[in-house]
Amino acid sequence: MAVTIRRLEEFDEVESFDCGDDPLNSYLKRHAWTNQQKISIGVTYVAADESAPHTVLGYFTLATSSVPRDRLPRKFMRGLPPYDLPLILLARLAVDKRFAGRGLGHALLSEALKITLHVASEVGCRCIVTDAYPDKAGWYARYGFIPLEGAVGTGLQKMFLDVRTIRRASSFEAFHSS
Amino acid sequence: MRPTVKEKPKNTSAFPARTPLPRKSKFQADLAPSEDRMMRALKAELQLTSNTDFLSDALALFRWAVSERKRGHRIVSESLTGERKILVFPRLERVAPDVALPRVDIRWTAKELESLTELVSAKPAEPTETLVRAMRQ
Repeated sequence: MAVTIRRLEEFDEVESFDCGDDPLNSYLKRHAWTNQQKISIGVTYVAADESAPHTVLGYFTLATSSVPRDRLPRKFMRGLPPYDLPLILLARLAVDKRFAGRGLGHALLSEALKITLHVASEVGCRCIVTDAYPDKAGWYARYGFIPLEGAVGTGLQKMFLDVRTIRRASSFEAFHSS
Repeated sequence: MRPTVKEKPKNTSAFPARTPLPRKSKFQADLAPSEDRMMRALKAELQLTSNTDFLSDALALFRWAVSERKRGHRIVSESLTGERKILVFPRLERVAPDVALPRVDIRWTAKELESLTELVSAKPAEPTETLVRAMRQ
């Protein structure tokens, strides 16, 4: 399989996508394109194979956000300047179950983190956060995502990864391959 | 007759001072057999005799593509019949300005914000092996 990851396009084949989770399937089929092109509240990137370049095998959606400075509890702020905290939200990530176990999730997350690093260098952002299903929290933790305490009732676990850690991983790679 | 005296040149060195040449970088790549075959075929097609020339041309082309994409231009091939194909190359897409992401609001609980503030105020964690692997991909 020669997979490319690119932005979702209007005529991509999404109807057959099935990751086994209805909200994630439905988001791709009903909302991803509109959210990206018309109301601009999230950009979706899809994985597609060269042999069927418009069939979506997996996807993730990114958006930016920020926490207003007056919502950050002062007693925990050490060395942070008094500004809003810019961050990236990994809103969704899913792989079609027919293609599970082939490293697509890894490839998608890897691309999402590279985009995060690029956005951080262009406009500044401090971290990436995601709302993980509890049974997927361990998978995100392998990449260094740290669970945030205090989730209430949504059944989702907010997880955090510092951009400085991602940058370090990236330079670690450069150092070791030179 | 007055004896002539040869004036000694101020620079006594036999050779003029030379500015050191910039050091050339060496580049070594491990290619899979298929990539090696592809490179040899391309070199033959382009009538390039050395790897240095090949790399130099490839670099110029890549640099041009990056600068075009950075300016938001798309790279398009057009056939004789006018059929157009847009180049989508993930690494190039990363430098495109349209990677800019839209903005959303997130619901946070007070406890989550405490936890988040603590984490961003702290020393960043060391990258895990899986993260390093992901950034290498």
